[in-house]
Amino acid sequence: MFRTDEIIKASKLPPEGVAMSRHIDHIYFIPILFITIVGTFHMHTALLCGDWDFWLDWKDRQWWPIVTPVTTITFCAALQYYNWVNYRQPFGATITILALGFGKWIAVYTSWWWWSNYPPNFVMPATLLPSALVLDITLLLTRNWTLTAVIGAWMYAILFYPSNWPIFGYSHTPIVVDGSLLSWADYMGFMYVRTGTPEYIRMIEVGSLRTFGGHSTMISAFFSAFASSLVYVLWWQFGKFFCTSYFYFTDDRQRTTKVYDVFAYATLAHGDKAKIGGKA
Amino acid sequence: MNAKQAFKRWILGFCGVATLAFTPVVDVTPAFAHGERSQEPFLRMRTVNWYDTEWVGKSTKVNDVTELRGRFHLSEDWPRAVVKPHRTFLNVGSPSSVFVRLSSKMNGVPMFNSGPLDIGGDYEYVVKLKARLPGHHHIHPMLAIKEAGPVAGPGGWMDITGRYEDFTNPIKTLTGETFDSETMGGMTGIMWHLFWVVVACFWVGWFMIRPMYLVRARVLAAYGDEILLDPIDRKVGAAMLVFVLVVVVVGYLAAESKHPISVPLQAGETKVKPLPVKPNPLTIEVAHAEYDVPGRALRMNLHVINNGTQPITIGEFTTAGIRFTNKAGAAKVDPNYPPELVASAGLTMDKESAILPGQTVDIKVESKDVLWEVQRLVDILHDPDQRFAGLFMSYTEGGERLINPVWAPVLPVFTRLGA
Repeated sequence: MFRTDEIIKASKLPPEGVAMSRHIDHIYFIPILFITIVGTFHMHTALLCGDWDFWLDWKDRQWWPIVTPVTTITFCAALQYYNWVNYRQPFGATITILALGFGKWIAVYTSWWWWSNYPPNFVMPATLLPSALVLDITLLLTRNWTLTAVIGAWMYAILFYPSNWPIFGYSHTPIVVDGSLLSWADYMGFMYVRTGTPEYIRMIEVGSLRTFGGHSTMISAFFSAFASSLVYVLWWQFGKFFCTSYFYFTDDRQRTTKVYDVFAYATLAHGDKAKIGGKA
Repeated sequence: MNAKQAFKRWILGFCGVATLAFTPVVDVTPAFAHGERSQEPFLRMRTVNWYDTEWVGKSTKVNDVTELRGRFHLSEDWPRAVVKPHRTFLNVGSPSSVFVRLSSKMNGVPMFNSGPLDIGGDYEYVVKLKARLPGHHHIHPMLAIKEAGPVAGPGGWMDITGRYEDFTNPIKTLTGETFDSETMGGMTGIMWHLFWVVVACFWVGWFMIRPMYLVRARVLAAYGDEILLDPIDRKVGAAMLVFVLVVVVVGYLAAESKHPISVPLQAGETKVKPLPVKPNPLTIEVAHAEYDVPGRALRMNLHVINNGTQPITIGEFTTAGIRFTNKAGAAKVDPNYPPELVASAGLTMDKESAILPGQTVDIKVESKDVLWEVQRLVDILHDPDQRFAGLFMSYTEGGERLINPVWAPVLPVFTRLGA
């Protein structure tokens, strides 16, 4: 079904080398790559779109669909660069969002429930997995990061709100308390006392993205898509900057060459390795 | 590194490890404070002057409803360093959500959102609380002021008895459904998250079952990507794309049909008028004030005029939630008020007799107690703007209470000689 045999043959690795590479795959992929993304990306998200993701009463029609996709497509783009350019693996965004979700659910049950006693439904995180899957599939099908920035990044942002509506739609049910109209989400935020987070901290439903008959969500989603597209390009380049390996080689005539083929390093004779002038 | 240095580092490391190892076995008692004493004195004395704070029901069973209520005056001597109260929120300072706040009213107006308040105004608040987490909890009223931060009121202890497992909070919505705030939407959210995790794991797993990194990198470097791009991956990718889009659309439409009536989050602003100003026949002005550091006393020279028809007795000076009373004032203190915040003999005057109608009198007042130190109000001497503010409570012969806000610069007296 797969081209695996053909690929292994082309790699020119001996059977024990292939077996060893699988061990490296597993050790590298799960304990190193995944856990690293959990730590770094979870922190990044908490700092940039934390409150929108933490609290039910921050998930508005206007800022939530803008801030969350724009700040999360970042690592997705960088990890897509790394996985696609070096290995042609189209799961960079999905693994990134899976790791983020893993970190978030740890936080929901340790920080929010066990430590702070907030019920999980009040601190339910949003899902970005449908968006990430579409981003990865776009890269696989187009094989082109520019098209992915234009089509995939737009889809990433546009899909965010509808894919989360089944989870959070109920929280916009109206309720009347003391003669005041509130959404259920507002009342949840009011009921569960947050000493350090007063109501005015909420950045919701403010700004000038209100037009076309009050369809704030549509306008926000399209603006989010546009911004996500730009951020994708920027972070793809970050991925390139941080994930490109090379070394400098100085030959017998003292000519120094920058070599990007890191596998060439392994093929160098022992004597030649001593001539390497830069990092590998 | 010589042997001596190595030994020193070894000892230091050993101490560190030993400290960490012993931490779990030592008797650790929980901290109950909210850091209210660490707020600078000018914030506590010159912004919100709390009074009449009541913690109704010192012991409440899980699911029972109680109240936190009281009044506050926004000081006319509002510090320049603090943003004016153009957007404020009446909050509760509690160790997490031990109570669920059912409603909150200020001067009778429901205060679900923040809103502006007037400097110099008086406000009465009632917060209805439903007991949720059993324990012995320190609860403060709190006024959060945008760009200035929260100003904590006096803290009192409230006990909650029973079991958290028995807590329920069913509430009827405008659509006729009943939502329980502890569980509503929880399982649906978890199931959707799990569903997408399964789909995402399938996608990543599809590529994980084949060599992932080293082999592919070698092939890519040697031959480019033609071999690596397996046609079946493209077919699976296309199918997955359709699947994801269909699930998103169907899920959205299903949620829409289940909850067809929705409103956006309410981001309004609550407008509350101050309490009507009652006529006050008593005028109190501070002519001079000094803080005696070794004596732990704030001394004030008051210029007092009684324009009323009844004799008036000064009974209490309150600031930052701390009450200095004399005999007349002590009789008026609610016995449930936290005793650690009351200096029951802390207010003395050189003229203790009542101020007669039409009388103008200069009185030397001393509010003296160790509470100035304990509550860290003495730090006023380190403020960039050394002033104080507070409320004088006086009583007419008929028992009516008169409230006079006062404020003035305060001079430090550092030695007993200077006193």
